Amino acid sequence: MNRSENRGLWLLLGLLALFSLSLFLVPAFVIRPFQHQSAGALGLAIAVKRIAPALALAALVGVLALGARLWRSSSRGLRTGIVTALVLSAASAVMVRQNYLEWMFHPITAAGFVSASDAHLGDKEMVMAVLIGREARAYPIVQMAYHHILNDTVAEEPIVVTY
Amino acid sequence: MWKRTARGRELHFYLAGINNQNFLMRDRETGSWWQQVTGHAIAGELTGSALELMPTDELTFALWKSEAPYGLVLAPVAGREKDYDQAWEKEVAKYPAPLTFPGQGLKDREVILGVEMGGQARAFPLAKVRGQSLVEDKIGGVPVALVTGPDGESVRVFRSQWNGSDIELYRDAQSPQWRLLDSQGNTWNFAGCATSGPAAGQCLEKIKFLKDYWFDWKNYNPRTTVYSH
Repeated sequence: MNRSENRGLWLLLGLLALFSLSLFLVPAFVIRPFQHQSAGALGLAIAVKRIAPALALAALVGVLALGARLWRSSSRGLRTGIVTALVLSAASAVMVRQNYLEWMFHPITAAGFVSASDAHLGDKEMVMAVLIGREARAYPIVQMAYHHILNDTVAEEPIVVTY
Repeated sequence: MWKRTARGRELHFYLAGINNQNFLMRDRETGSWWQQVTGHAIAGELTGSALELMPTDELTFALWKSEAPYGLVLAPVAGREKDYDQAWEKEVAKYPAPLTFPGQGLKDREVILGVEMGGQARAFPLAKVRGQSLVEDKIGGVPVALVTGPDGESVRVFRSQWNGSDIELYRDAQSPQWRLLDSQGNTWNFAGCATSGPAAGQCLEKIKFLKDYWFDWKNYNPRTTVYSH
């Protein structure tokens, strides 16, 4: 391997690691909770999120292959660079598969219900109420404001409670 | 609250993102992205589909229980009780608004009740609705009444028409029991059903509305007007 070919591979390794990182960081930056999202930025974030799982995996494979190729000819300092690129790409490939919003707001996986007389709610607490057929349900807003989403079925009607 | 079916398919939703403080959800079946407040799919296979709105009420627990003593209440998720913040509304009120719509006299984070009928949208400041106990208006040619219930908190919106003609509703200040009267000799309860008079046993049509922040309502209803009587 000559030096200029090596330089090209190093450049590719660096770019692939950065690309992988951006697959996670670009949508995460756009979808920050209390910021403004423009239509264009949101469209980009969603487009990236949709392809990120596949692309981050491909980038990781690329970084692995390049790292293996460059390892033997590299000094200890350069090997640190290879390991760093690998760790970042692997972390990104993991993070694009995580729904970190559900780390902050845990979803309701199995909803439990109690009768109106058994509920420990103050008289003034607000509930979202639905009546389907002869079935009435109340969803305390303080709970829904945290979980945000509940997939429920009332009188055989599948509904999603959102707040 | 939405029916979670689209194009004949049952869907299961999860929290997936945030768009100007209004959350985005995805369905597990197709991975499509949906805007919570509009029920519209904005990306993915189901783009262009819309969920059907479920008629719901926002009531105090006591009032709901008096109307539906047989009902069921969502139980707290075990281990998450500490995350349920009773002061969440006050906390959210401190956040900066991600969008600003000055010029119509409302603060960005002012709570409004939004009604959309016949292509016309109108925002009613919640403080005004609660202050007056009964607000009458016409939206898209339809007479509506925004009514604050006996608990002073819960609000419902009714079409103030019965038997094909407009009716004028007003609070019966003489009665110890909460009730509405109208120009036709009926009395109505907070469920919108006539308890006496020629309409006895019949109910007014309930109008769907959204309790929302002004900036969010205005964002999705750019041509909205604001109630200002």
